[in-house]
Amino acid sequence: MTIDSIRGRSAKTVCTLLVFLLLLPVTSCERNANRIVVGSKNFTEQLILGELFAQIIEARTHLPVERRFYLAGTFICHQAILAGRIDIYPEYTGTALTAVLKQQPSGDKQDVYRRVKQGYETKFGLSVGPPLGFDDTFAMVIRGEDARQLHLKTLSEAAAFTPKWRAGFGYEFMERPDGYKGLVASYGLRFAEAPRIMDLGLITRALKERQVDIIAGNNTDGLIPALDFVVLEDDHHYFPPYEAVAIMRGEMLKKHPEVGAALDELSGAISDEDMRRLNYAVDGQHRDVTAVVREFLKQRGLIN
Amino acid sequence: MNFLQFMMANRQQVLDLTLEHMTLAGVATLLAALVGIPLGILITRIPQLSKPVLGGANIIQTIPSLALFGFLLPAPWIGERGSRLAILALALYALLPLIRNTYAGIRSVDPAVVEAGRAMGLTDRQLLFQVELPLASGVIVAGLRIAAVLSIGLATIAAAIGAGGLGEFIFRGLAMVNNQVILAGAVPAALLALFADFVLGRLERRLGTLRSKS
Amino acid sequence: MTASPSHEAAIEFDHASFRLNGRALLQDLVLSVKQGETLVLLGRSGSGKTTTLKLINRLLLPSAGDVRVNGRRTAEWDPIRLRRGIGYVIQDGGLFPHFTVERNIALVPRIENWPQARIESRVRELLATVGLSEDLASRYPSQLSGGQRQRVGVARALAADPPILILDEAFGALDPITRSEMQKEFRALQQRMRKAVIFVTHDLREALLLADRIALMEEGRLIVDLPAAEFSRSQQPLVRAYVEAFSALPDPMCS
Repeated sequence: MTIDSIRGRSAKTVCTLLVFLLLLPVTSCERNANRIVVGSKNFTEQLILGELFAQIIEARTHLPVERRFYLAGTFICHQAILAGRIDIYPEYTGTALTAVLKQQPSGDKQDVYRRVKQGYETKFGLSVGPPLGFDDTFAMVIRGEDARQLHLKTLSEAAAFTPKWRAGFGYEFMERPDGYKGLVASYGLRFAEAPRIMDLGLITRALKERQVDIIAGNNTDGLIPALDFVVLEDDHHYFPPYEAVAIMRGEMLKKHPEVGAALDELSGAISDEDMRRLNYAVDGQHRDVTAVVREFLKQRGLIN
Repeated sequence: MNFLQFMMANRQQVLDLTLEHMTLAGVATLLAALVGIPLGILITRIPQLSKPVLGGANIIQTIPSLALFGFLLPAPWIGERGSRLAILALALYALLPLIRNTYAGIRSVDPAVVEAGRAMGLTDRQLLFQVELPLASGVIVAGLRIAAVLSIGLATIAAAIGAGGLGEFIFRGLAMVNNQVILAGAVPAALLALFADFVLGRLERRLGTLRSKS
Repeated sequence: MTASPSHEAAIEFDHASFRLNGRALLQDLVLSVKQGETLVLLGRSGSGKTTTLKLINRLLLPSAGDVRVNGRRTAEWDPIRLRRGIGYVIQDGGLFPHFTVERNIALVPRIENWPQARIESRVRELLATVGLSEDLASRYPSQLSGGQRQRVGVARALAADPPILILDEAFGALDPITRSEMQKEFRALQQRMRKAVIFVTHDLREALLLADRIALMEEGRLIVDLPAAEFSRSQQPLVRAYVEAFSALPDPMCS
């Protein structure tokens, strides 16, 4: 065996392997064409919405649906849908506007929705579905007893007391342009110490157990009524609207318009109240997401 | 259900993510080889460059991987897609083993053989391709093997910036506190790395025996 | 490269010197070799013999003076064309370990783009010339003995039929019997081929056997340049020292 043949064979093997490696993903794309992949971020409300999308698509179309939930955040979901790795995921108009499109927020629901729909279409080729009916805006949440004791209803009223309070916020809230910085500026807030940055899953417990006195929670958090928490009114209208919508891949919709039709049926179907109850069923009562969503869809007559 | 049943039930996803992972690591290693091997050859020809080039590649390697991903995020075009960013970052990491092994491999060729070749009238090009590279090929492939295994491992972190791959299973599994999902990412990634190590190791050994025929 | 006409010098050193890092490795060398002639460079290690050889095939360029091959200064030659016209044999062959014997021998013909058939027949011819069996052609150097490797080295140097051959201690690493065989065969080869040969050795007996002329060097300088027959009779002190050193060795073959 001469060096030529050794070199030739090995080089050929390596080259073939490499070409194979690089072509495989391309060929596998074709197989995916008839699957719908629904993604979601990694907190309860997102899991519920994702499951909602998945189940209604399964009910209305005969397409197989794959669930890819627990993606780590807005950026990851956005990257995933741009790359075509997921076809749909639930997003909030406020987040889409400020964190993804990097535009200035406003307090006007219709204006925000319109700008998001247009921006996503032109910039990314992504389609934005109609609002689902609730606003998961940021809620500044305090314990019920503090609210009653200090007669607090709005954030402006609470601003007088915050210097004595410790605050607990999630990582995204601290970093987002529509989060902590603007809030503090708008209401002139000061706290007893620098806010504790905590995992979203632990934040409500921290409030209940008095480790913090005020948190940035969500308007639709199921534990708010359950744990006797109170949402302080955003009287300055600082927080932009966060209407929940489905973000969908344009190419997927072209191939399967029935998917768009199925999701349109969810337009306006879920109120703030509804969302809080759904969240509570999963977070508070520890029920299974799939079962909770199925029950909801049945109750609304959307599935049998 | 046990782990194998889980893998079977989700085989489409497992396959998708594995292919994504292979693309990330494969393209990155290829890029690194296309840049690193010629650079390694260059610094054997221009010794003054060897220190800065090797030093530069070394510095890149000392940057923590997640930090490097973070640095590249704001870059235009590159930062817009997680996969582009990941491939670039992984390729940068894979540069050092390739440059260094190419350099060391060529320099370790018996100088008497090279001089004999030159004395017989081989041009620089002929010396490089017929003598130095074939005799250095074992060491170069060793560098390729290191680069490939490194890329496969680092590609698991790429999921953190949305590049996909088997790391996505791992991160999702962590968020779900679900070991099966974590393993569905970790096990194939480990198997990929072992496979690459094995195949390239065989190639390395085959080519390495050539040098010892002296 | 074509051979020089026999009355002209194939290789000529015209007051050539070579310095490296301030040290003079060769000083003011005047020497010439005609086509068909075998010159042996004799001397101790460090005497400048290898440097002299390297000036011929332009592995080194003279710091002063000229070195001419076929009448042209080495500095003016295209190095590649110059080297392909000079066969080079070194101790232990310097064979490419990753080439077969056949591929080693065929090296220069291949890069000179000879047709494949011609290369093959030339390789067979050379194997016969150096006394190697044809079935060694597909072996690798590591599978050969020292003597076989040396023969392959010679075959390789002769492959493109260069008019000039330079050999650097070519038989130095061989056992005495093989060495003696190689010397005799080389002498026979030279008488047939009439190349311009410069042969470097430190062994006087080898020099006397192979040379038409012997040039003795010491510390970078040429001491004497004499026809082989006259060398042993010279009264030059260094020559005497050499001759005595060699005759002091027990030589059972000497009558």
